[in-house]
Amino acid sequence: MALLEIKGVIKRFGGLVAVNDVSLQVEEGEIRGLIGPNGAGKTTLFNLISGTFPPTAGVVTFNGRDITRQPTHKMVRMGLVRTFQHAQLFTSFTVLKNVLIGLHVHADNGFWAGLRDSAATRRRNDELLHRAHDIIRFTGLAGREYDVAGSMSHGYKRILQVAIGLAPKPRLLLLDEPVAGMNHGDVDRMMDLVRSLRDQQGITVVLVEHNIRAVMNVCDSISVLQFGRKIAEGAPQDVSRDQRVIEAYLGVADDDAA
Amino acid sequence: MTPDTSARRFGIPILLALLVLGPIGIHNQYFLHVLIVIAINVVMAASMWLLGITGLISFGQAGFMFIGAMATALLTKNLHWPFWIALPLSAILPAIISVPVGRLSLRVKGVYFFLVTLAFGQVVAGIFAYFEKPFGGWYGIRDIPAPAPAALFNTLDKHGFYYLALGLVVLTCWLIHRISRSWFGMVLWSIREGDLLATSIGVDVPRTKLIAFTVSAFFAGTAGSLYAAYYGYISPLVFTFEYSVNVLVFIVVGGFASLAGPVSGAVVLTLIPEAFRVTGKYQMLAFGLILAGSMLAMPDGIIGAWQRVFPPRRSATDGVA
Repeated sequence: MALLEIKGVIKRFGGLVAVNDVSLQVEEGEIRGLIGPNGAGKTTLFNLISGTFPPTAGVVTFNGRDITRQPTHKMVRMGLVRTFQHAQLFTSFTVLKNVLIGLHVHADNGFWAGLRDSAATRRRNDELLHRAHDIIRFTGLAGREYDVAGSMSHGYKRILQVAIGLAPKPRLLLLDEPVAGMNHGDVDRMMDLVRSLRDQQGITVVLVEHNIRAVMNVCDSISVLQFGRKIAEGAPQDVSRDQRVIEAYLGVADDDAA
Repeated sequence: MTPDTSARRFGIPILLALLVLGPIGIHNQYFLHVLIVIAINVVMAASMWLLGITGLISFGQAGFMFIGAMATALLTKNLHWPFWIALPLSAILPAIISVPVGRLSLRVKGVYFFLVTLAFGQVVAGIFAYFEKPFGGWYGIRDIPAPAPAALFNTLDKHGFYYLALGLVVLTCWLIHRISRSWFGMVLWSIREGDLLATSIGVDVPRTKLIAFTVSAFFAGTAGSLYAAYYGYISPLVFTFEYSVNVLVFIVVGGFASLAGPVSGAVVLTLIPEAFRVTGKYQMLAFGLILAGSMLAMPDGIIGAWQRVFPPRRSATDGVA
């Protein structure tokens, strides 16, 4: 059974059909790339999966459960976490605190627990602090624990974003353009991180990306969207040779179009 | 887990000892009166601050305070209930009312939230002003009985009231401080930083905001109850929008960074107009100048300026005590 299954999902914004009858399956342990020209509906699809807004039609199941109309915060507890296209961080917090906030779903985070502040809560806090440091080490942010998130370079901000997404212990991580606007070195570091998410943490990853080189290197398989429709799917080398994909990216010469 | 700074280890007990022992020898009624007014303002500032750390400023706080004050007035005067029962009820009632109010108003953000809460405050004052029975209308309610035993809360000797107010301030601050430094508090701070991101890591943002809103109404009701019992007189002219703005000014001048901000803001800004009372008609002018000056000199408030001089020790789990 696929970990994530999208069946016939449609999203209309007024007259615009942003996602038009898209179906796809992501298997556990897979790194799936989602590519397509600008406006193809990739981020909209992410928003539909993660519950930012509901689809007009269609069903999304995660781990066998229908999550189509679940609110985002509940999905996090089920193990589905997404990151955003732009570096969304708790900018005035330190790196460590950013990761700790990501861990809050595992803490005694209720109002009364906070008021009581029992010994058990404190023990749990120690444990979570350790886990936060583990995540920081794993993502290569060690030594920057006390840097203020907003003051870091773009590349590190994006890595911190992944670290925050990692904190709730997801089974499936949706990364929205993790290497957008990065230089080569940062791209490689991010792609190594994505690979190790799967290899060392067993996390299934779906990523939207424009950087084709990065996608080709890291993804097991790729789905291509154009004008809200899925036009191709398969292994990176197959997809890159697919005629429709080439046309989608390069356009069609006028004399061929007839 | 946080290493106790020397300020926390010695400063707060010393401050408390001063507050408890200091007024024993003082029989200046005016001085005690000012301290009690400060106490009411501190509770209000702390209550507004708790919601403020989610990035929301409610201009309806005076409305919740009015509800608390009205509850105390009606329960103690008309029903002759003891103040000690009226006090908790006067805190719980605004908290209950805040749930539907919060559900409505928390749907909107920023300036719209200001407006909805402002409207709520006006509606509360309007309802209490419109119905002379039992709310007293524009004349308000007077002769609200002082808490029993009368000997302790005699209006001529304000010591009893002072200690009641001090107790409530300490309790309020302790609870709100504890909340603000728990996981729940950290979640509140995270909503201020960005509720989209907070949602994406599993925060139920509407529910969390609603809890903060309700707790903040609870403490506003406490302040209102204290006000009614102390002054013995309440009216729609007291719990105005202007008062909510004043409370906001306490927080802004004091600083947002920690609870010490609203507390120090409320203390300083209650004292300053009193200190300039001798200047007569220039009192508010002097107050305004000091206000503008402090905002220029201390953009992060009193606490921000303090932290610039004495940087707080960097602690790993700031917020997770």
